[in-house]
Amino acid sequence: MIFVAVGTQFPFDRLIRCVDEWAAAQGIEVLAQIATGGYLPKHARYERFMTTEAFNTALQQASLIISHAGMGNIITAIESSKPIIVMNRQYELGEHRNNHQADGLEWMAKLPGVYTAKTCEDLRILLDQHDNLSAGSQLGHERRQRLINFIDQAIRA
Amino acid sequence: MSTQHKVFAISSPGGHWIQLTRLCAGLEAQHQIVYALPDKLFKPKGQQKIYSIVDVSADDKWKLIPCALQVGYILLKERPQVILSTGAAPGVVAILLGKLFRIRTIWVDSIANVQKISRSGELVKTKADVFLTQWEHLSDQQQILFKGSVL
Repeated sequence: MIFVAVGTQFPFDRLIRCVDEWAAAQGIEVLAQIATGGYLPKHARYERFMTTEAFNTALQQASLIISHAGMGNIITAIESSKPIIVMNRQYELGEHRNNHQADGLEWMAKLPGVYTAKTCEDLRILLDQHDNLSAGSQLGHERRQRLINFIDQAIRA
Repeated sequence: MSTQHKVFAISSPGGHWIQLTRLCAGLEAQHQIVYALPDKLFKPKGQQKIYSIVDVSADDKWKLIPCALQVGYILLKERPQVILSTGAAPGVVAILLGKLFRIRTIWVDSIANVQKISRSGELVKTKADVFLTQWEHLSDQQQILFKGSVL
């Protein structure tokens, strides 16, 4: 099963439609979290919003995550050892209030297990080889602990 | 060991919240943490104390007022020694109120902001007692510090 999630703030019809049409042609099971999207998937099952619990269950059951380029989904996918494809929202298309997801895509692409797409065409190329996309290993433990230790000291200061 | 502090942790839902909870997971053993989040979908884990607050973003500024009233009330009731936020708008509200109430404030700018400090971060850069970025190249080693990142 492929799990596609667009976050809670905005719709992302371009992503949902792209995945839905590809999956319909391939006959692959998809669960989509579509927020306030106007495009309703014809092939994929969908929810508009999900509880953390339902979200985590879907994440665990999925073999691949597809997401807007939001930090939350990337962090949870990496922590769950799932490969993730992210597509950035574009300010020019009215998909976000600024273009920080486009900026983010550059460094996200460097994370192991994270694959990036700017367009539906990019995404389809990745989806056609979805069996070969592998998860990254748990990373950044040391960097995270260093930050936590510093905050702990700052709290005590 | 040293004394436990009461920490008020607040952020927007989504990525900011994921980052905040990952940081707090490493602080819960040492400190008492009270959370606030504008999201009804979230269910607390175990002993976590979470206040649900009005959702607010830079796009709907009028909601800052009810948000500020709620956060102000929680601060007066809980009396935390420290406020910790990863952003965005609710964090700004909390940092500014923290300044007013003389509570120590810590801002961790979201890892999503890689080219420059976030818009909400810019609003509190000179207000927060400790201001952290998660990108080394954004640090000026004085006001904006880099001390690690969630990933």
